Amino acid sequence: MYEAIVFLPLLGCLIAGLFGRVIGARAAELVTTILLFAAMVLSWIAFARVGLGQVNARVLVATFMHSGELKVDWALRVDTLTAVMLVVVTTISALVHLYSIGYMADDVHRPRFFAYLSLFTFAMLALVTADNLVQLFFGWEGVGLASYLLIGFWYHKPQANAAAIKAFIVNRVGDFGFALGIFAIFKMTGAVDFETIFAQAPALGGKTIHFLRWDIDALTLICVLLFIGAMGKSAQFLLHTWLPDAMEGPTPVSALIHAATMVTAGVFMVARLSPLFELAPNAQAFVTLVGATTAFFAATVALVQNDIKRIVAYSTCSQLGYMFVAMGVGAYSVGMYHLFTHAFFKALLFLGSGSVIHAMHHEQDIRHMGGLKDRIRVTYYVMVIGTLALTGFPLTAGYFSKDAIIEAAFAGKNAFAGYAFVLTLIAAGMTAFYSWRLIFKTFHGEPHDREHHAAAHESPLVMLVALVVLAAGSIFAGYPFKELFAGHAVGEFFRDSIRQSATILDDMHHLPIWIGLLPTAMMAAGFLLAWQFYLRRPDLPVALARQHDALYRFLLNKWYFDELYDFLLVRPAKRLGRLLWKGGDGWLIDGFGPDGVSARVIDVTRNVVRLQTGYLYHYAFAMLIGVAALITWFMFTGGPH
Amino acid sequence: MNDLLQDYLPLAVFLGVAMAIGLALLVAPFVVAYRRPDPEKLSAYECGFNAFDDARMKFDVRFYLVAILFIIFDLEVSFLFPWAVAFGELGWFGFWSMMVFLAVLTVGFAYEWKKGALEWD
Amino acid sequence: MDQAFDLPGLYPVLPEIALVGGAMALLMLAAFGGARAAGASNWLAIVVLGLAAVLVVATGTGKYEAFAGSFVLDDFARFMKIVTLVGSAAAILLAQESVGDQARGQYEYSVLILLSTAGMMVMISAADLIALYLGLELMSLALYVIAASERDSLRSSEAGLKYFVLGALSSGMLLYGSSLVYGFSGTVGFAGIARALAGGDSGIGLTIGLVFIFAGLCFKVSAVPFHMWTPDVYEGAPTYVTAFFAAAPKVAAMAVFMRTATNAFAPIVVQWQQIIVFVAIASMALGAFAAIGQTNIKRLMAYSSIGHMGFALVGLSAATPEGLQGVAIYMAIYMAMTLGAFACILAMRRADGAVEQIADLAGLARRSPTVAFFLAMLLFSLAGIPPLAGFFAKFYVFLAAIKAGLYALAVIGVITSVIGAYYYLLIIKVMYFDEPAPAFEPMRGELRMVLGVSGLFVLLFFIYPRPVVEAAALAAKSLF
Repeated sequence: MYEAIVFLPLLGCLIAGLFGRVIGARAAELVTTILLFAAMVLSWIAFARVGLGQVNARVLVATFMHSGELKVDWALRVDTLTAVMLVVVTTISALVHLYSIGYMADDVHRPRFFAYLSLFTFAMLALVTADNLVQLFFGWEGVGLASYLLIGFWYHKPQANAAAIKAFIVNRVGDFGFALGIFAIFKMTGAVDFETIFAQAPALGGKTIHFLRWDIDALTLICVLLFIGAMGKSAQFLLHTWLPDAMEGPTPVSALIHAATMVTAGVFMVARLSPLFELAPNAQAFVTLVGATTAFFAATVALVQNDIKRIVAYSTCSQLGYMFVAMGVGAYSVGMYHLFTHAFFKALLFLGSGSVIHAMHHEQDIRHMGGLKDRIRVTYYVMVIGTLALTGFPLTAGYFSKDAIIEAAFAGKNAFAGYAFVLTLIAAGMTAFYSWRLIFKTFHGEPHDREHHAAAHESPLVMLVALVVLAAGSIFAGYPFKELFAGHAVGEFFRDSIRQSATILDDMHHLPIWIGLLPTAMMAAGFLLAWQFYLRRPDLPVALARQHDALYRFLLNKWYFDELYDFLLVRPAKRLGRLLWKGGDGWLIDGFGPDGVSARVIDVTRNVVRLQTGYLYHYAFAMLIGVAALITWFMFTGGPH
Repeated sequence: MNDLLQDYLPLAVFLGVAMAIGLALLVAPFVVAYRRPDPEKLSAYECGFNAFDDARMKFDVRFYLVAILFIIFDLEVSFLFPWAVAFGELGWFGFWSMMVFLAVLTVGFAYEWKKGALEWD
Repeated sequence: MDQAFDLPGLYPVLPEIALVGGAMALLMLAAFGGARAAGASNWLAIVVLGLAAVLVVATGTGKYEAFAGSFVLDDFARFMKIVTLVGSAAAILLAQESVGDQARGQYEYSVLILLSTAGMMVMISAADLIALYLGLELMSLALYVIAASERDSLRSSEAGLKYFVLGALSSGMLLYGSSLVYGFSGTVGFAGIARALAGGDSGIGLTIGLVFIFAGLCFKVSAVPFHMWTPDVYEGAPTYVTAFFAAAPKVAAMAVFMRTATNAFAPIVVQWQQIIVFVAIASMALGAFAAIGQTNIKRLMAYSSIGHMGFALVGLSAATPEGLQGVAIYMAIYMAMTLGAFACILAMRRADGAVEQIADLAGLARRSPTVAFFLAMLLFSLAGIPPLAGFFAKFYVFLAAIKAGLYALAVIGVITSVIGAYYYLLIIKVMYFDEPAPAFEPMRGELRMVLGVSGLFVLLFFIYPRPVVEAAALAAKSLF
C-alpha cells in the first residue's frame, strides 16, 4: 500500500510524459488525476492506520547503493509524521490536479504539465517517506527539479525562465548546506539512516568537528547546516528571494508547490530530525531567530504589494516563519499542526487567486480589480473563508494552529523566544491587514477596469469543486485535530516520530488567559484598519504612502534584497563567469586546446603543401636529401656491429 | 674483398687509357691546330638541311622514334653475337631462350610496323 | 647447368609466363584483328589475369624455387600476387569505358597493365637483387607509359615525364645500393646477403647500400621523403590510371619491400628498423597534414595513399610475423578501399567531361544516396573508424608495433590517423550537408560493380575476417 502511494504518481508522470502525445491531453489529465486520487485515498487510510491506529511501518523497496561503509537502502518509513505529510501532499496534489484540468484548459502543453505535477508529487512523497538522509536528499532535489520545470513551464516567457533559474540557484545555496550537514553526520556517526543517527545522537553531545583550526560543536554545526538547507527550500529570511519570483509559474503550481507542500519540506525536515535539534539548543535558537524574522519581514513586505499572487506568496513566507518558530522552541507538533492547516487555507487562497486571475483574463494587479464579489460569488466566498482561516478568525483552522505557535513562542525557553513572541504577534496583525486589503481591493469597491469587470466570469465546475473542498478543509482541519497536534494526545499520536521538548506543551497550557486573546485582538485590529483604509477612506493609504515615502518604497521594494544580492553576488558572479568564459575558456582552453591545435595543423598543412612546388629538380633534391639524411644518421650512430 | 676488387684491375686500366686518349684528343687541337675563323666556319652545320636557326631548334619527334628503334635492334645484335659464339655450349635451353627473346622482339616489331611507326609520313 | 634450367623448373613461373604470353598475344590480336578485337582487349586482359590467378592458386601451398633460387613462390608471394592480380583486374574494369570510348582505341592500356603486372609478380617473387630490379623495371617502364597515355593532355604528359625522370633516379639509387651490397657481401641472392651479414662486421658501406636500396623501394611505395612524385602524377595522370597506380603497384612494391627487409637484411634489423620507423612517421604525418589543404580529390587521394603507406610501414617496422601479417592485411584492405573510392571518383562525370574537385561532390547524398552511402563507408574505413575494414587494418599494424615495443610509433600513428580523419570526414560532410551541385551522369556498370564489391568487403569484413587474416598469417610466416 505504501509503495502504491509513492509510485502511483510516478506511474502517472511516466504515462503522461512519455505517451502524452499518443493518448492525448484529456487522457493524460484523467490518468494522472485519477491515480492521484487513488494515492490520496490510500494516504488517508495510512493516516488512520499509522496515526490513529499507532502502527509504524518500514517498507524496504531496494538497495540504493552500497559502497564501503556507506549503506543506503531505498526504504519507506511511515510513521505519524510521514502519515501527516502523506495526507497533506496527496490531498492538495489531487485537488490541484483536478483544479488544473479547468485552469489549464486552454494550454496545448497539458500532458507535459500534468506529467510535471505528478513528477513533483512523486518526489515529494519520496522525500516525506525517506528512511535515510540520502533518500531525503533525493526527494529534496527531485522536488527542486520539478519546481524548476514548473516555474519555467511557460518557457517562452523570459521572466518565467529567469524565475526558474533563480529558484534553482538560490536553492543550491541551501542544498550546499544540507549536503555538508549530511557529510558531517556521516563523518560523526558513519551512517545516514535515521535509526542509527538518532541512536547515536546523544553520544555526540560535546564532541567537536575540527575545521581550519576551529573546533566547532558537532551537533550545533550539523543542525545549523541542515537548517540552512531548510532555509533554502522553505524560503526563509535571506534565502527567500526566489519564492515571490516563482509566482511566474502557473497558479496551480504556486498552490501545490510554493504554498502547501514543497516549501514545507524544510519544516518537515527539522521535525524529522528533531532528535538532533533537541540536543543542540544553540541551533534551536538560530531556528527561532530566523523563523521569527521571516514571519515579520515577509508580513511587512506583503502590506504594500499589488500583485495578488505575490501578496499570497509573501504571506506563505511569513507563515513558514511561524512554523519554524514553533520548531525552534521545541514545539514540533505545533509546527506540524500549522503546516497541516496552512496547507489547506493557503492552497485555497492560491487557487482562489487563480480563479480570480482566470476570471480577469490573466490580470494579476489588484489595483486593476475591484467590485468582483458579485461577478464571481463562489470565488469570493471561498476567498473570504481562506482569509478568515489565515488571519486566525476564531474556530477556523488557522485560529487553532497559529495561536498555538504564538503561545509556544511565549512559553519557549530559548534566547530568542521572547523576540519571536513579539514579532509573531505583530505579524499576526499585519497578516490580517494585508489579507483583508487583498479581499477589499479585489472584491469590493468600484471596478477599476470596466471592460475586464464586465467580462469576468465564474470558473468552471472542476475548479470550484476543488475550491469548495479546500474551503471545507480550511474550516474543519483545525479543531478536530487540536488534541492530536497541540493537546494531550500528542504523545500517543506522534510517539517516537518526533522528539518534542518535554515541557513546552504543559507550559503552553498554563499561560495567562490574555496571551490567548492577544492574537485575536491583533487580528481584529488588522481587520478594522484594513476596513478603514480600503472601504471607508480609500484616500488614507495614498496619503500615508506619500507621507512616509521612504518607508513605503523600502517595503515596496522588499527591503531591497534583490538589489543587494544583485550587487553583492549576481554581478560579481557574472563578472567572474565572463572572465572565465572569455579568458579561461575562450583564450586559454580553446586557444591552446582545440582551436590552437587546429590552427597549428592548418599552419603545418600550408607549409607542407608549399614544399610541393611542381619542379622536378626540387623533387629529386628532396629524395637526395632524404638519402643523405639517412646516411648521415648512420654515420653518426655507427653501422652494424 | 680485395680479391674481388683485383678482378676489376683491367677495367681500371681500360678506364685510365680511355681517359688519357680522350683528353689528349681534346687538348691537342688547342695546342697544335691552325686557327682562322670565318662566318661559314662558325655557323652551325646541320645534316640534311640548311642552317637557318641556332642549334637548339626543335627536332621532329620522328627522328627520336627511328633512333629508339635503331637502338633496340642494335642491342639485339649485340646480344646475338656472344650467344652465337657460345652457342655450342648452351644447348637446347640456350637455343630456346634466344628464340623466345627474338619472338618477343618480333612481336614488338610487328606492332610498330602495324602502327605505322616505320613510315616517315 | 642444364638440369637447373630444365622445363619443369619453370613451373613456379607459369603465372608470369602466362601474363607475358597473354600480353604478346593480345597485342598481336588487337593490332591485326581490327576494331572488334581491340574493343574486346580489356575483357581478354581480365581473362589473362584470371588465368594467372588460377595458376598461382593451383600451386597449392609450400615453397618452390626457380632460376637457381632467384625466384621463389611461397605463401607470401601467393597472397600478394592474388591481391595484385585482383587490383590489376579491377583497374582494367575501372578503365573500361574511359579507354573504350576514345576513338583511338587504346588497347595498349590493357597490354601495358598485363606487362606491368608481370613485372610486379616478378618483384613479389624476387629472391635476389637482379630479379628484384628486373621486375621493378618491367613494372615501372610500363607505368611510365601508362601515366603519359593521354598524349593530348599536357598534364598527363607532364605526369609521365616527372614519373619517368624521378623513377630513373630512384632506379639509379636502387642499382647503386645493390652494387654496394654486392660489393660488400659478394652475392646478390637474398639468402647469401643474409649469410654474409650474419657472418661478421661488414662496415658502414653495407649500411649505405641498404639506405640506397630502401630509398629506391620507398620511391615505389611513395613513402616520405621519396613521395614527391605522387601528388603530381596522381593528379596529372588520367583518373583510371591513377586508380591503377594507387592499388596494385603499391601492393607489389610493399611486398618486395617486406621480402627484402626480412630475408636479405634480417641480421641488421636494428638498422633498417630505424629507417622504416623514420619513413613511417614522416609518411603518416605528411599524409595527414598535407591532405587537409587539398581541393582536388585525386591529389587528396595521393596524400591519403602516402599516409596509408606510412601506416603499413608501421607494421613492417615491427619486424615480427605479426607485423608483417598486419602489413599483408593492410595492403589487401587498402586496395579494396582505394579501388572503391576511385570508382566513385571516376563516376564524377558530367555531360561536359570529368570533374575532380571535392566541391563537385556536394549534396551527392541527395542526388544518388546509394553511391554516397558506399563512398561514405569507404571514407570512414579509410579514416579507420570501427567496425569497418580500415579500422582492423590499422588495428593489426598498431598492435604489432606495440607488441614490438614501438610505443611512440603507435601513438604517433594514432594521432596522425585522427588528424587524417578530418579530411575524410570533410568529404562526407560535403556529400551529406552541402547544397547539391549539378548532378553527375549515371554511373556505369563496371564502376558500380567495383564500388559494390569493395564497399561490401569494407562493410562486412568484420563479420568474417578469418580467410584474409589467416591467409595473411600464413603469408607472413613464410617470410621467416
